[in-house]
Amino acid sequence: MSSSTAAADAADAAHVVTPGRRLGLTQEYEAGSGTYVRNGMIYASLLGVRKTKTEAEATTMGGATAGADRPDETSGRPTNPTIYVERRSTRYAIPVIGSEVLARVVRINPRAASVAIMMVDSAPCQEEFLGTVRVQDIRATEKDLVQMIGSFRPGDIIRAEVISLGDQRSYYLSTTRNEHGVVFAQSEAGNSMVPVSWEEMLDPKSQAVEKRKCAKPVAAAAV
Amino acid sequence: MTSNIYDRRRVNGPARSVEPVYIDAIEPMAFPEGLRNDGRSLDQLRPIYIKTGLLAAQQTFSSTAPSGSAYYEQGKIRVSCAIYGPRQGRKSNPRIGSFDCDFQYAPFSCSWKKRSHIRGADEKETAQILEQAIAPAIRLEAYPKACIDAYVTVIESDGKFATISAAINCISAALADAGIELYDTVAACSMSSDSSRWVADCSQLEEDASSCSQLVAYMPSADEITYLLQNGKSTLDRTEQAVQACTNSCTRVYAVISRYLQSSMEQPGI
Repeated sequence: MSSSTAAADAADAAHVVTPGRRLGLTQEYEAGSGTYVRNGMIYASLLGVRKTKTEAEATTMGGATAGADRPDETSGRPTNPTIYVERRSTRYAIPVIGSEVLARVVRINPRAASVAIMMVDSAPCQEEFLGTVRVQDIRATEKDLVQMIGSFRPGDIIRAEVISLGDQRSYYLSTTRNEHGVVFAQSEAGNSMVPVSWEEMLDPKSQAVEKRKCAKPVAAAAV
Repeated sequence: MTSNIYDRRRVNGPARSVEPVYIDAIEPMAFPEGLRNDGRSLDQLRPIYIKTGLLAAQQTFSSTAPSGSAYYEQGKIRVSCAIYGPRQGRKSNPRIGSFDCDFQYAPFSCSWKKRSHIRGADEKETAQILEQAIAPAIRLEAYPKACIDAYVTVIESDGKFATISAAINCISAALADAGIELYDTVAACSMSSDSSRWVADCSQLEEDASSCSQLVAYMPSADEITYLLQNGKSTLDRTEQAVQACTNSCTRVYAVISRYLQSSMEQPGI
């Protein structure tokens, strides 16, 4: 195991690039994450290892970089290999519209819940970002009948989607999807609760049921 | 700041500390045999040492560790920088991120006077210089609504312009270590002149004896000067000459920084 990593490191070492290093022409390659394009040339924007992948192996790159060029040509012309720069150590993420975030509910009031965003698309945030879930963005149906106290409580961990960059203070999030909502909560007695339906959670020790807008549990492999 | 500041909450060292006077010290800007006091030629830079990642989480065991850090030495100049970010910005522009810099001299860093813990006007001015020199190199459009903060501390200073260039180089290395998207790493270099010729990378004694100092911050991949600062009197021709020579020196500094960053990646487990 260690010898194969050492061999991989040695192969990678030959392709370490610093920001500003030229990687290739836009005629021959697509620009992937960790790169930028200027005057028909692709340059590295990160300190990392230069790699290429062909269209056949291309899966959606994890949201490591916000706003980087992404290859999305689906027209008939033959696609070039994508060149990208990979950085093995932690990349800190910032929320972008459409990304899925994990957040902790900090404060609630009847109109909105304030949350602290901790992770974006499985990458941590360096410091928590402030987010807001408005009461009309909690559920997809019967939006006017939603009550905040029956959906979130302070201390709950929720999975949500960023719908807007919001205002000066916070991002706007929504939990309208089935997979979004409370993933972890503690009951008033202090025990961890398990979801029993989309709107109820059960405390296994005290058998108390509390109302929350629960996230549909996903299979372990998908997470 | 005057040297008689007394801080009752701290153990105050001597109010003023100076280097001992050497009996056979040579006139700083007179160059017998074309060499300077420390044996360098007129266009030779002081040796550079860089190390990144010293403030990383596994080093400091802290949950509030910076995203990236660098320690930079150039001759006697020692500068350290910590980068925090991208994190929630106070200015919060939805299209583009912001870069803020905080610069301070450690109280013991300048051998000719004791600095106060409160930021002085020159520290605030230098912080603005650093922001203007580095911000063009960061891909701020990749970090909308977020801000990237750099905290620079000068541990030892030797030549005002040389220290500012060292701070710029240190921030560049720390940003690369933090994984912030950059167009290029900015390299900076300084020169001073005593109205006859330009001398690269001057120490404090040489700078005090000069009539004009210049600083250039340069991005080689875009062939762009991001910041140009001149202090003192010079003619247009001599300034142009100096800008050209300083830019060439910046390219040499850039090579040192790039070589270090590459070798830092080649260690296992990075």
